[in-house]
Amino acid sequence: MATYTAPLADMRFVLNDLLGEEQIGDLPGADEVTPDLADAILEEAAKVCEGLLSPLNRTGDEEGCHFDNGVVRTPQGFKEAYRTFTEGGWTSLACDTEHGGQGLPETINMMVEEMICSANLSFGIYPGLSRGVYLALKAFGSEALKETYLPRLADGTWSGTMCLTESQCGTDLGLLNTRATPGDDGAYKITGTKIFISAGEHDLTENIIHLVLARTPDAPEGSRGISLFLVPKVSVAEDGSLGPANGVSCGSIEHKMGIHASSTCVINLDDATGFLVGDLNKGMRAMFVMMNTARMAVGIQGLGLAEAAYQGAAAYARERLQGRSLGGPKCPDKPADPIIVHPDVRRMLLTMRAYVEGARALGAWVSLHMDVAARHADADRRRQSQDLVELLTPVVKALFTDIGFEAGNLAVQVFGGHGYIREHGIEQYVRDARITQIYEGTNGIQALDLVGRKMPAHTGRYLRSFFHPVAAFIEEHQADGALEEFVLPLAKAFGRLQRATAWIAQKGLADPEEAGAAATDYLRLFGLVALAYMWTRMARLALGHGGGDGGFHEAKLGTARFFMHRLLPQTGALFATIMAGKGSTMDFDEAWF
Amino acid sequence: MAEIKKVGVIGAGVMGAGIAAHITNAGVPVVLLDIVPEGAENRNAIAEDAVKKLLKADPAAFMHERHAKLITTGNIEDHLDRVADCDWIIEAVIEKLDAKHAIYGKIDAVRKPGSIVSSNTSTIPLAVLCEGMPAGFARDFLITHFFNPPRYMRLLELVAGEKTRADALQAVRRFADVALGKGVVDCKDTPGFIANRIGIYWLQCGVLEAMEAGLTVEEADLVCGRPMGIPKTGVFGLLDLVGLDLMPHVLGSLAGALPETDAFHAVRREPELIGKMIADGYTGRKGKGGFYRLDTSSGKRVKEAIDLETGAYHPAQKPRLDSVEAATDGGLRALMEHPDKGGRYAWRVMARTLSYAAHLAPEIADDIVAVDEAMRLGFNWKSGPFQLIDQLGPAWFAEKLKTDGLPVPDLLETVGAGTFYRTDEGRPQHLAFDGGYTDVRRATGVLLLSDVKLRSEPVARNASASLWDIGDGVVCLEFHTKMNALDLGTLAMVGKAVRIVADGYQALVIYNEGSNFSAGANLGLMLFAANLAAWPMIEDMLVQGQDAYKALKYAPFPVVGAPAGMALGGGCEILLHCDAVQAHAEFYVGLVETGVGVVPAWGGCKEMLVRWSASPLRPRGFMPPVIKVFETVGTATVARSAPEARDLLYLGADDGITMNRDRLLADAKARALDLVDGYTPPEPPEISLPGPAARVALTMVLYGLRKLGKATPHDEVVAKVLAGVLSGDGTDVTESLTEDDLLALERRAFMELVRHPATIARIEHMLDTGKPLRN
Repeated sequence: MATYTAPLADMRFVLNDLLGEEQIGDLPGADEVTPDLADAILEEAAKVCEGLLSPLNRTGDEEGCHFDNGVVRTPQGFKEAYRTFTEGGWTSLACDTEHGGQGLPETINMMVEEMICSANLSFGIYPGLSRGVYLALKAFGSEALKETYLPRLADGTWSGTMCLTESQCGTDLGLLNTRATPGDDGAYKITGTKIFISAGEHDLTENIIHLVLARTPDAPEGSRGISLFLVPKVSVAEDGSLGPANGVSCGSIEHKMGIHASSTCVINLDDATGFLVGDLNKGMRAMFVMMNTARMAVGIQGLGLAEAAYQGAAAYARERLQGRSLGGPKCPDKPADPIIVHPDVRRMLLTMRAYVEGARALGAWVSLHMDVAARHADADRRRQSQDLVELLTPVVKALFTDIGFEAGNLAVQVFGGHGYIREHGIEQYVRDARITQIYEGTNGIQALDLVGRKMPAHTGRYLRSFFHPVAAFIEEHQADGALEEFVLPLAKAFGRLQRATAWIAQKGLADPEEAGAAATDYLRLFGLVALAYMWTRMARLALGHGGGDGGFHEAKLGTARFFMHRLLPQTGALFATIMAGKGSTMDFDEAWF
Repeated sequence: MAEIKKVGVIGAGVMGAGIAAHITNAGVPVVLLDIVPEGAENRNAIAEDAVKKLLKADPAAFMHERHAKLITTGNIEDHLDRVADCDWIIEAVIEKLDAKHAIYGKIDAVRKPGSIVSSNTSTIPLAVLCEGMPAGFARDFLITHFFNPPRYMRLLELVAGEKTRADALQAVRRFADVALGKGVVDCKDTPGFIANRIGIYWLQCGVLEAMEAGLTVEEADLVCGRPMGIPKTGVFGLLDLVGLDLMPHVLGSLAGALPETDAFHAVRREPELIGKMIADGYTGRKGKGGFYRLDTSSGKRVKEAIDLETGAYHPAQKPRLDSVEAATDGGLRALMEHPDKGGRYAWRVMARTLSYAAHLAPEIADDIVAVDEAMRLGFNWKSGPFQLIDQLGPAWFAEKLKTDGLPVPDLLETVGAGTFYRTDEGRPQHLAFDGGYTDVRRATGVLLLSDVKLRSEPVARNASASLWDIGDGVVCLEFHTKMNALDLGTLAMVGKAVRIVADGYQALVIYNEGSNFSAGANLGLMLFAANLAAWPMIEDMLVQGQDAYKALKYAPFPVVGAPAGMALGGGCEILLHCDAVQAHAEFYVGLVETGVGVVPAWGGCKEMLVRWSASPLRPRGFMPPVIKVFETVGTATVARSAPEARDLLYLGADDGITMNRDRLLADAKARALDLVDGYTPPEPPEISLPGPAARVALTMVLYGLRKLGKATPHDEVVAKVLAGVLSGDGTDVTESLTEDDLLALERRAFMELVRHPATIARIEHMLDTGKPLRN
C-alpha cells in the first residue's frame, strides 16, 4: 500500500528560492506571508493530507458513492474527514478575508491543492468545485448574492457545482437547452437536465450551490444567448437560513473508470428558482473566469497524481528485489538486486520525477502571476501577468494532466503485475488521472485554445509574457560556463518553439485546420520548453548552492540534467511533426476510417 | 477645341470656393467673385474670406498652400470684367432662378467669344436656366455639377442642352477629366440629374423606414453602411455631414420639379423630429450636432446618438445584428433575406432604392454605367445600384419584388435571368437599354488594371502580390494584401519581377487599384515576431526588404512607381528606389516609422540622405541634408498631396503627377516606355556624412522639439538612434560611405529599437487603434 509524504523540501525550494527570484514588488496581502508562515501552513496541510485524506483514498475508490432514490452518500469516512477539513479552515485558505477567508496567495494554495490531489483526488473535487463557484460569484455576483453565499462557500458549510454539460452539449455549449424564465420577483425559474455534474449531490454539506448555464426565452441563438444562474439545492432566506427544497434533484450517478468517491450526477432542474449572475447573455464570460481557475486546478490534479505515483514507484523500486544489475551485483548479500539498479527502471523514475518537479515549478510560477494579476498596484503589471496566466492556463491543464496519466502508467510499469492488481493502489492513479485529461475542456480543446485564441490574441501579446523573459534569460546566461549544459538545449528548444509558433500563426491565419492539426503537438512542445526554462532556472539556483545539504541540490541538478538530456530532445520530433502540416491527417478520406 | 487656361467662378460659397480651389490644384488661375455685402467696408470681403476659409479647411481644399495665390478675388459689381479673359466661367450662386438669370446677363456682357459658361446647379434643369437667354449664350452653356468637397468628391455631372456646342462640351469634359481628375458622367437634363435623384430618394427611404420600423440611428447606419458597400456614415451620419437644413430645400426643389407620378413624392415628407432639430440648431456637424453629437461636458469626447422617438440623446451604442453578421459571409442578399429587423430594414430601403434606380435609368442617363458611376463617385458607394442588383441576382430580386407586391421595373424584365454586367472574351460589357450588351467604354488614356485582369492571367502571383502584362513590354507589379501592407510575399514578388522583366520585358510599373498604394511593412507580422522575441526573423525581414529594393533600383530596366492614396513607411521606401514616380495628385506619402518607434530600414534613410545631398534646394555643407532628413523622418512627416511630396523630396523634380486616378496607370506606363531607350541603371552613390559632430547639431534640433512639447520620452530615444544613422555613426566627412554601409546602420538602429518595450507598445497601439501612441 503506497504511503504519501508531502514533498515539502521541494515546495520550499520552489516557493522561496525560485519564486524569490522574481522581481514582483508589493503584492498587498500576499507579501505578508513570510517563508516561516508559509512553511507552517504547508506542514499543517501535509499532516491533514498524509494522515486524514490519504488513508481514505483506496477505501473510497473501492466503496464508491451510493445512490438511493435521489440521495447520494459518499464513502465511509468522507463525511467526518470533510468536517475535520473544514474545521481546520482548509476550504477558506485562498478566499478573501472579508468573506471569512484567510486571503492567502495562490502560490500557497496551489501547493496545498497539490497535496490534497496526491492524497485523495476524489475528496479534493468537492472543495475544489466550491472554490470555483466562490470565484465566479465573487467576480460577477450581485452584492446580495455575494453577502449570502460567499462566506458559507468559504467556510465549507455549503459546497458548489458547475452545471454546464447536457446530454447533447459538452464542448459546444452553444447547443444547450436548459431554460430560464424570468419571474416577477427578479428571480428566474430554471428547467432542464444537466449531466456529468461533479459533486452535484452528496452528504457532505447541508446545501449545494449550483451555477447553471441556461437560456432565457428571447436569448440570441448559440453561445451568445447563454446566461449564468445561481440555483441553490435548498432555498435560502435573506438571513442565510435554509428554507424548503428548491426544484433540484439528482436523477442518478454515473459508474465510471476512476474518481469513484466523487459523485458524478445527473441533475434535474424542475422550475427551480435561480438568480442571474453577471449580465444577461454574458454567461460564457463568467464561465470562462471560473473555467480558467478550474483549468489551473485540474492541471494541479495531474501534478498531484504524478507526485503520488512517483513516490509509490520509487519506494517500490528500492524494495523489490529481482535480477542483477547489468554492471554486476550491487547487493551480493541479497538474493537479488533491487530493481532500481536497472537503467530502464531509472528511466521511468527519472522521467516521472523530472516532469513532476518541473511542473511544480511551472505551476507555482503561473500561480505567482495569478497573484500579481489579482493584487499588484500597477495596472500594467497586472495586465502582463494576466497575459501570462491566460497563455499558460491551457498548457498547464493539458501538459500536467498528460504528465499525471503518463506518470501513473509508468508507476504501474515499475510495479509490474503488482501494479496491475488493486492491492497496491497504483492502478487507481491511472484511472483517476484519466478524467483529468477530459474534464474542464479536453486536452485537445486546450490545445485549440492555445493555438486558436491565446496565440493570435492581440497579435501575439500573450506570447510576449512568456517568450520575452525566456529570451532574456537565455541571452543573459548563454555565456554562463557552468550553466551552459542547460542553457544551450533550452535555447535550441526555444528556437524550435519560436519557429513553430511563427509557422502556425502564419498558416493558421489562412487555414485554421493547419493550426488545428498542429495544436496538440504544439502544446506539448510549448510545455516542454516551459519546463526546460524552469529546469534551467532551478539548475542555476542549485549550482549556486554548491552542496552539503543532504543532497537536495545535487539531486536537483541531476534531475535537471536528465530532463535536458533525455526528455527535452522530444521537442525535435514535435517540431518535425508540426512542420509536416495537416496534409496526411486531413487528406485521408473519411470513408477510409 | 479651345484649351481652358483661366477659369472664372461666380459665387464664393462653399461650392464656388471649393471649385475655385480645386481648379488651382490643376495649376490653372481662377477669378473668384461674389456679391458686395450690404454696407460693407471691404467690397471684396466675401470672396477674400472664402479664400481664408479655404486655407484652413479640413480636409484641405488646396493641394498646396501656394495654390491660393492663383486665385484673384473680387466682387461682381466692380470686377466682372476680370472674367473677360476666362475660358470657362462657372456660376455657383444661390439656387434661385432669378438670381442666376441676372448673373448670366452680366456674364454674357463681358465674356469673350467662344468662352464657356456653366452652372453648378444641383436641381434646376438646363432648359429652365436657358430660358430667355440669347441663342449665343445657350450655345456656350452647360451644367457642371460638382459634389462637395470638390477636391475630394470625384463625380462631375455634365448636362448639355440641345443647343450646347459639342466642342464646348468636349473642352469642359476634357479639362474636368484630365486637369481636374474628375469622373465625368453625362446626365440627361432631368431634375436632380443622377446622383442626387437616386441618393436623396435613398436617404429619405433610409430615414423614414428607420422611424417606421423603430430602428435606432446606430442600427440603421450599421445596416445601410458597410454591408452594402456604403460608407459607414450610412444614412443618418451622412445627413449630419451634409447638413440637415439643406434637406428641406433639396426636397422642396425636387418635389416642385418632379412629375406627380414620381415615386419620390411618397417619401418626400420631412419628419417632425427633423424640423424641430433644424429649428433648434441641430443641423449636423456644422451645427450643434445632428443625429449624432459629441458630448464634451464630462471632459471626455462621448459620441451620442439621438432617439428617433423622443429626440433625447444617449451615448451611441454599437449595435449587433444577426443580419449584418450574416452579410459578412453571405453578402448583400444574406442581409436582405434575413428575418431580423436589420434584414427587414435593408430590404425595405434597398428594394425601393434599387427599383427606383432601375425604373429611372433610361430617363436620366445614357446607360446603366453612368448611373453606377454617379453613385460610386458621388456618394462613395463601392458598387452602384446595378452592380448591387447583380450581387443580389436580378432574377431573385425581381421575384422577391413580385412576392412583396412591389412593381418590377422594366429593366429587370429586360435583364431576365442574366446580369447587368458580364465579361465577354475578356471585355467588360453592360446591358444597354435596348436589351443587348455593349462594351463598357473607357476614355482614351485610361488603362485600368481591373480590365487587364478580366482579359488575362497574371504573369506571376502569390498571396501578397502579382505581376501583370499591361502591354508594350511593360509589367505591372500589383500588391494585394490587406491595406497593401508589405510582407515577405511582396518582397519575394519584387525579386521575381526583377528576374522576369529582365528576361523578356522592357519596364516595370508598380501600381495597384486599392484605396491606398501601401500602408507600409506589415506591422502585425513585425509585432508577432517581436512578441516571440524572434529577433533574427525580424532582421531577416529587414535584409530581404533592403535586398529587394536594391535589386529594383539597379535592375537593368526602368522602374516607375505609380502610387495613389497613402504610401507610408516601406510603401514610401519602395518608391524612393524607383527610377521615376508618376503619382496621383491625392498622394499621402511619408516615412512614418518613428511613429511606431523604429527608423526606416528598407533604405529610406539612405535614399533620403542621397536625395537631400544632391538637391539644389538646400544650403551647401554636410550638415543641411542630415538635418533636413532628421526633421522629416524624425517627426514622421506625411505629405498631404503630390505637390507637398515634392517639397519634402519624397517626389523628385522629374516625377510626374496625374490628376485623374483612372489615368494613372497609362501615364506611368508611358513614362516607363519613355525611359526604355538607352536606359542605364543609376550609379551607386557614395556619400560623406559628418559623424559624431552632427549628433550635437541634431541633439539641438531635438532639444528644440522637446521645448515645444513635441517630443515624448520615447521620441527622444528614437530620435537619438535616428541621429546615429543619419550622421553616419562613427564616420567623418573625409570618409565616404557606400549604400551597404548605410543599410547596415539602418538595420542596427532598427534592431536596437524594436526590442524596446516602448516601441512594442507603439506598434501594438497602432495596430489596435490605428493611431500613434505618444509614449
